[in-house]
Amino acid sequence: MSERFIKLLLLSIGSGFMVFFCLFPFLYMLLISLGENPTAVWKGTGFLTLDNYREVLQRESLHFIDYLRNSMVVSSVSALFSVLISSLSAYAVTRLSFPGRLFLLFFVLAVSLFPPISIVGYLFKLMSLLGLINTYSSLILPYISLNLPLSLWILTSYFSQIPLELDRAALVDGASRWRILFRIILPVALPGVFSAFLLSFIFSFNEFILALTLTTDYRARTVPVGIALFQGLHGETPWGTIMAASVITILPIVLLTVLFQKYIIGGLTRGAVKG
Amino acid sequence: MRAFLLLFLLFLLVGCEKREERVVTFAVGGAPNEIEFWEKLVREFEERKGIKVKLLRQPTDTDQRRQGLVVALRSGMKDPDVFLMDVAWLPQFAASGWLEPLEGSGLKREVFFKRVVKLVDIYSGKLVALPVYVDGGVLYYRKDLLEKYGYSKLPETWEELLEYSLRVQRGERKKSPQFFGFVWQGAQYEGLVCTFLEFASSRGGGITFRKGRLVLNTGPNVEALTFMRDLIHRYRISPPNTYTEMKEEEVRMFFQEGNALFERNWPYAWALHQSKDSKVRGKVGIAPLPKFKGGRRASTLGGWHIGISRFSDTKRESLEFLKFVLSYEVQKRLALNLGWNPGRTDVYEDRDVLKRMPHFKVLREVFNYIVARPVSPYYTQVSEVLQKYLNSALSGRLSPEEALRRAEEEVGKVVERYSR
Amino acid sequence: MLKGTLGRYSSDELRDAFTFLLPLILFISIFILLPVMGTFLISTYREVTFLEKEFVFLENYLKLLSDGAFWQSLRFTLLFVLVSVPLEMVLGLAFALIINERIPFRGLLRTVLLIPWAVPLAVSARVWELIYNYNYGLANLLLLKMGITDEPVNWLGTELGAFIALVISDVWKTTPFVAIIFLAGLQAIPGEIYAQAQIDGANLFQRFFRITLPLLKPVAVVALLFRSVDALRVFDLVYVLTHGGPGGSTTSLSLYAYKHFLAGDFGYGSAVSVILFLIAFLLSILYVRASGFLSEVAR
Repeated sequence: MSERFIKLLLLSIGSGFMVFFCLFPFLYMLLISLGENPTAVWKGTGFLTLDNYREVLQRESLHFIDYLRNSMVVSSVSALFSVLISSLSAYAVTRLSFPGRLFLLFFVLAVSLFPPISIVGYLFKLMSLLGLINTYSSLILPYISLNLPLSLWILTSYFSQIPLELDRAALVDGASRWRILFRIILPVALPGVFSAFLLSFIFSFNEFILALTLTTDYRARTVPVGIALFQGLHGETPWGTIMAASVITILPIVLLTVLFQKYIIGGLTRGAVKG
Repeated sequence: MRAFLLLFLLFLLVGCEKREERVVTFAVGGAPNEIEFWEKLVREFEERKGIKVKLLRQPTDTDQRRQGLVVALRSGMKDPDVFLMDVAWLPQFAASGWLEPLEGSGLKREVFFKRVVKLVDIYSGKLVALPVYVDGGVLYYRKDLLEKYGYSKLPETWEELLEYSLRVQRGERKKSPQFFGFVWQGAQYEGLVCTFLEFASSRGGGITFRKGRLVLNTGPNVEALTFMRDLIHRYRISPPNTYTEMKEEEVRMFFQEGNALFERNWPYAWALHQSKDSKVRGKVGIAPLPKFKGGRRASTLGGWHIGISRFSDTKRESLEFLKFVLSYEVQKRLALNLGWNPGRTDVYEDRDVLKRMPHFKVLREVFNYIVARPVSPYYTQVSEVLQKYLNSALSGRLSPEEALRRAEEEVGKVVERYSR
Repeated sequence: MLKGTLGRYSSDELRDAFTFLLPLILFISIFILLPVMGTFLISTYREVTFLEKEFVFLENYLKLLSDGAFWQSLRFTLLFVLVSVPLEMVLGLAFALIINERIPFRGLLRTVLLIPWAVPLAVSARVWELIYNYNYGLANLLLLKMGITDEPVNWLGTELGAFIALVISDVWKTTPFVAIIFLAGLQAIPGEIYAQAQIDGANLFQRFFRITLPLLKPVAVVALLFRSVDALRVFDLVYVLTHGGPGGSTTSLSLYAYKHFLAGDFGYGSAVSVILFLIAFLLSILYVRASGFLSEVAR
């Protein structure tokens, strides 16, 4: 009896704290975004105005819409390609025998832990050489590569659960390996493909240091960098506008999280622990 | 096979990046009213010359402005074509070979401030940039408050400024608890070096290279830095966030909200203090910065210079635009509308300018006291060290002597690394 | 040796494996491995935008040894890892225990937990920047209202304040990730063990300390190592929140390298990156071994 009570008590306090801990910065963000200035919320005057949102969305020279569009394009394209490429590799790893299979998996895992600062200097030179600085490609190409390890691990985990009999039957029927991958494996492993896509998307959307170094302006700059360097039109740091921009930016991400929580958690645990 | 198809698609995507028509891209940052004015100028230029110009809006912060340009120039990008550069980092750009020489462009360089041009705009014998406007630190003060407390003359020395501040602050605090005597730039950024240079020079010190060595840890410098620290921690006439948050705009806003008696800032703040929504409109005076007892006044040389990228694909058009910006007419309008001190000396004799900008008299005086930061392509690294240690001293983490000693030592290593 | 093994693989399979793996290998080689090697190479040059390029071999590294600012950033980076990662582990475990229970709104709770992790750090760092603002930040507002302090705390202006601010923000951001990893570990523990223990009379806390903790150890090691490597590369947070200040006290190694890139000194910046790379690499080898161990166990 008392033990159940203790447990219940701990759980309610704990979950209450957890919800507060996770969400209060967002609540604060929302409140500030609705005020004329950072103190409007507490004073009650100049509060509940949409001016900041209007400013962010309509003032062309802030380029916020550009940043958002760049982020969407860069993240979805790189997520798409990294999932496609890693599903090919995951197929090879789970279905074909070749030397160094395990080595490849673990090598890729190690690669995913390289500090981005150690590639950024040379990447900058490479992209300059290719004339790609400040283009979508300058971000998409490295993002695909950086997302490959996690995608590969997630997909390998999903693919290895699909019984080999499925492919064997198809092979006997004379189907090519490409056909098997795209017609049999991928449809069955769709949840895994989706998790890998989601996680790649989120990682690309959040990436900062490459976006900061490889882009110079609104033509390719992504939204995290845009917001980090955000300078408004009123001299002092325009908190209201920044927070309004932040609210709009996190909206799609929060939506993805709310809708696909299971896939994200599934992908994270498979990618990071189970393998 | 399909894998290659994918790759092929991807590289197609790479090839599909949009190419733009022949347009001059002009990168400029600044306060909102400045950007608005540039936009107007650009439109006029387009109409007059039939050359298209795109304004690339940069942040206000000079470090972030530099970052955008360094990335573009270092990678040899075609854009931006024309841009403004802070005197502090112009030497890095020039020495890196990123600037197109302006020789033979038909520009008369004699009409610009000779000393300034000689100091920063000429690199290995070639003219690579020209001053759009020159800057110097000035003192803003509240005329109404000085009157209210019975001060009939301005503080001549820092000691007097302290005395005035203490008394006015005590009085004003009764009504507004956020009131401070003196606001200035103390955050860890370039502006701190400028402020320090002024305090130090007016005490007889400075930041100078002698025989390839930076001389920093001197008696006058220590005294100046101690005084700066004491303004915050001992006399408390400068806000405690001076060394964390106070940059130009923070300082200007603080003063403009009516929360300070004195303000150290650049001339650009004048026009803004007089704007419609300013709480100190009509109550502000401008003067040269004070000096220490027995010292001489000093004002750090700042300002922005215009140049053309060596990688520009529209050099001819860009030069036209540069000439337009430096023309008598535009320079005069920049002075009248933004309160900038033109890089051209002839504008200072213009009757309209003198009539509508009476404070230009003060500014002209200020330019007699100008002191320059070290001119060097690796100045930013030197400055980084200075900023760090000056800021440590202001925060009280290091004693002023210790901070200057370490800064001198560390700068020595920077110099050693880059000069061989 | 290779020849011996080759015999076991059919040439048809090998060819297909190669084709299927080629895109991945190409991408990782060109955009990750090549740049890393490039960085190593650049670090042996004096490569500055305004000077002649010159091969100096280890000179950049020797300069690092006597560079006080480098040591300061190394110390900060390690301290940051040592303080924030353990906090994240403890809090992450607590959160994992909560969302592992069969409680109402469990799905919703998990979603809530994910949000701080999913949102771009550069964006949430700006919210934290405002929270710590001296004049009107939430932190000072609360402290003053509740009477904990008489004067506002200069969060980002003092060395300690800035450090604490960074740790709090980092813990907020990454605890969810740790919790998710622990959740996976918890779900792998069979329920019968607990049932048996309950029959044997072990109470809630005994069950936690005797069963849960020991069984979670492998997962904890993985989470710990992964988070440590991740925290070592901290950049976004310091870039936005403190710019490395006050007085350079919160300049992480990544930021220190970046500042040199910005000043046009690629050789020196690369040398700093290489040092960070080596530290991270050592830890990631441990990590890879730990997760390898784990996947062996899982089989």
